[in-house]
Amino acid sequence: MQQTRRSFLTIMGAAAAAGLARPRLARAATSITVLNWQGYGTDEAWAVKAFTEKTGIQVVHDYFSSEPEMLTKLRTNPGVYDVVLINSARVSQAVADSLVVAADFSKVPNAAGLSPDLVNSANRNIDGTGYGVPWVWGMTALAAREGGTIPDSYAALGDPANVGRVALSDDAVTMVALVALLTGQDMNKPTDLAAITDKLKSFKPNIKLMWSSEDQWNKSFAAKEFDLSVYWSGSSARSKHISKLPVQFVVPKEGALVWMDTLNVVSGSANPDAALAFINYMIDPEFYVEWATKVGAPASANSTAMDKLPADDLTRLIHDPKYLKTSTIQAALTDEQREAFNNLWQEVKAFYAA
Amino acid sequence: MKIAARFYIAAILAFLYLPILVMMAMGFNESPLYELPFSFSTRWYQALAGNAPLVNSGINSIWIAVATSIIATVLGTMASVALSRRTFRGKTLLQLMLLPPIAIPWLITGTAMLVFFFYSGIGRGLHALLIGHVALAIPYVVLVVGTGFQTVRADLEEAAMSLGSTPVHAFFSITLPLLYPSILGAALFAFAVSLDQFVISYFLATPGFSTLPVQIYSAIRKGFTPEINAISTILLVGSMAVIVIFALFAKPGGVSDKR
Amino acid sequence: MPLDPANSTQLREPGGSRKPLPPWASTAALLVPTYGWLTLAVFLPLCTMFAFSFLTATPMGKAPIVFTFKQYRAFIDQPYLLGVAWQSLLMGFWTTFFCAVLGFFAALALVRATEGKVRETLLILVLLPFWTNGLVRVFSWTMVLREGGFLDYAIHSVWPGAGSVGFLYTRQAVVVGLVHGYLPYMILTCYIALVTIDNTIVEAASSLGARWWTILWKILLPMAAPGLISGSVLIFVPVIGSFMEPRILGGRVGVTMGTVIEDQFTQAFNWPLGAALSFTMLAVVLGIFATFSGVLRRGTAL
Repeated sequence: MQQTRRSFLTIMGAAAAAGLARPRLARAATSITVLNWQGYGTDEAWAVKAFTEKTGIQVVHDYFSSEPEMLTKLRTNPGVYDVVLINSARVSQAVADSLVVAADFSKVPNAAGLSPDLVNSANRNIDGTGYGVPWVWGMTALAAREGGTIPDSYAALGDPANVGRVALSDDAVTMVALVALLTGQDMNKPTDLAAITDKLKSFKPNIKLMWSSEDQWNKSFAAKEFDLSVYWSGSSARSKHISKLPVQFVVPKEGALVWMDTLNVVSGSANPDAALAFINYMIDPEFYVEWATKVGAPASANSTAMDKLPADDLTRLIHDPKYLKTSTIQAALTDEQREAFNNLWQEVKAFYAA
Repeated sequence: MKIAARFYIAAILAFLYLPILVMMAMGFNESPLYELPFSFSTRWYQALAGNAPLVNSGINSIWIAVATSIIATVLGTMASVALSRRTFRGKTLLQLMLLPPIAIPWLITGTAMLVFFFYSGIGRGLHALLIGHVALAIPYVVLVVGTGFQTVRADLEEAAMSLGSTPVHAFFSITLPLLYPSILGAALFAFAVSLDQFVISYFLATPGFSTLPVQIYSAIRKGFTPEINAISTILLVGSMAVIVIFALFAKPGGVSDKR
Repeated sequence: MPLDPANSTQLREPGGSRKPLPPWASTAALLVPTYGWLTLAVFLPLCTMFAFSFLTATPMGKAPIVFTFKQYRAFIDQPYLLGVAWQSLLMGFWTTFFCAVLGFFAALALVRATEGKVRETLLILVLLPFWTNGLVRVFSWTMVLREGGFLDYAIHSVWPGAGSVGFLYTRQAVVVGLVHGYLPYMILTCYIALVTIDNTIVEAASSLGARWWTILWKILLPMAAPGLISGSVLIFVPVIGSFMEPRILGGRVGVTMGTVIEDQFTQAFNWPLGAALSFTMLAVVLGIFATFSGVLRRGTAL
């Protein structure tokens, strides 16, 4: 079976070389293609313009709308991308398939300011090699409407006081990890999935909707469809600061789900140096301060950049570095875990709908 | 009776256009979060004027939809002729084969195309995009034109042929004019299918090339602003103007003639 | 493609100086472009996906390929999927039903009460909403249906004391959105079927004393049957796999086979399970239509 697989891959590689080499040749020598979520920092028009003026490197963007899709795009388009954003919990998957190369900090001067808590994370240190330059980090916890009760525990999601006023995140891994914390389990290795299922099912009378994007969250919150929600830290800062929504981000006593996004040089990139130059610019304090204050961003992995934010800046206040010590970073999951979590979440959703 | 019928048509149109009017109205609403109460503003139209990627993606979408609807209508009508007017073994199977492209969600078909086009070396790009769009539009054309065929009597054609007309001539002079409303309807559907097609464009376009649905769906995460409403409104009003002018001034087809 | 020249004599060969093609060749020439195109763009890719549905995991990356039938056991291993499937079928049924009723009478009204350019323009006006993006349309419905949305706004301007009638995030909201999205199909196919009705038949029937419901049941409905059938195919089939409308308009109750399958492809990266569920759904759809078309054929033969 393994043999067939290998020849299969050879055919895939040949097909890719024949079919996809052309656009690469047609491009200017100093152009890089970045694969990221749309509207997530790297494609800010002012930033790209400043970077191109500074270095002469052109930046083209392509987007993904889910992490598996990002991996699929990397696998089916070898040689097309130079820089990719990967959630650190997915780095090991990308490394296992040789989709990205090790991080070369020697060509990223700004890496000196990176927070050691993030640099040393097991998520990016695989078999003694460091992959992916930590870019930003954030938390998933609760967001409550200002003026109401501010919850101190995830148990508020099931509190009868909140009937019909709660929104959950439509993401299996997030919801399982969060309720694992609530039921006193290791969020990266929950063992009692039945307890998590039951707890999630008990939220049913409270659940109004499950959001899958910040935009959806903002519009529903603005229309007063819910008062309490599972939400992202950086997004809550944006919702309050940019969209002027009365929202308060809360890390309950069980702790938050901490996540970290990394920028990686893609295997087979024709311009790895240009890619690293772009990554360096992305953790530059100058870029970050403008991004965070004008547009709204998660916390920079570069503590020097965080220190340059005004002391009363909301992003800075929410992302207290203490949480990096007290909460756990979401770790890589095995395929079996992901499948189990997804089936669990499908079952819960079917229960909500019934 | 006629008055009730006209009233009913008006009610159906009101239902169909209700969300469209909301869409248009929200393009002129100040709030980026689509909040009510309504407060008039043209800021989204001004923003749109400066948003070259969105405008370009709209133009790309129209070109692809035009090409798709022409190719799919021609091919689909040809197939429909064979399926409706010829007898051969395996016909039912061929008709059933039109169902999978409609029944399997586009997301799966799109993913399958991405994988298969990659393995087979077709790759990504405009050509791949057109292959996918046309393929998804064809079943709609065949079904709609096929419905038309069931109402056009075959004996007219045969009569013409018995009077010395060739089959091709009989088709073009007798059947085609009678089929005009179904073919027009099919072409409009094919256009709509392509214009709304997101998954295939998303998977098969090369980086930097984008269509309007791709812009809209990708914007979900970032948050789509009423600029989307503005460009949708412009597209709809524009196509409405073109079609109404065409319908009012073009030579009337067979549709209004009594058969 | 098996062709039977013996059966293709329906088309008479005209005596002319040009040598005509044999009927089977012209039939093939008409069919090959369409089915060739579909094969390349849809059937071969779907065959790849079908093969994937027998694997344990998505065959990407370095995971070993292992064959299994477990994906097709999903309905047994995860019994809650049966409830989801039933809800999806119901959703497809109600959407098709409302589209058929509304669409048939709309087509009838177009045929009987309008003519010429007015009719043509009205028909095009019916199709035009289709030319806006589906997501934008569905999103506009959320603004109409939500509490304090346009519907409430309109009602409160007439009757200020009224409570909210907003019903966003219910099954009814999903069906409203779906009916809106698919109604033009039914109007068009019914219109195509009805437009050829000879007025004299209807007039003769009514002058012979036939009641309007007799005319409706005995003349108009049978004539519209081809349109109702193709319209139902074009609506029922995609609706049971739809995911956008349930997700956005259904909120908590918007869980359908479409959303389950979508989750398998986007979130879970479990293409084999997603593919297996789609092919099971396709089999059910084909089964329904096979049964149904047999019943119909018998019905029309009577």
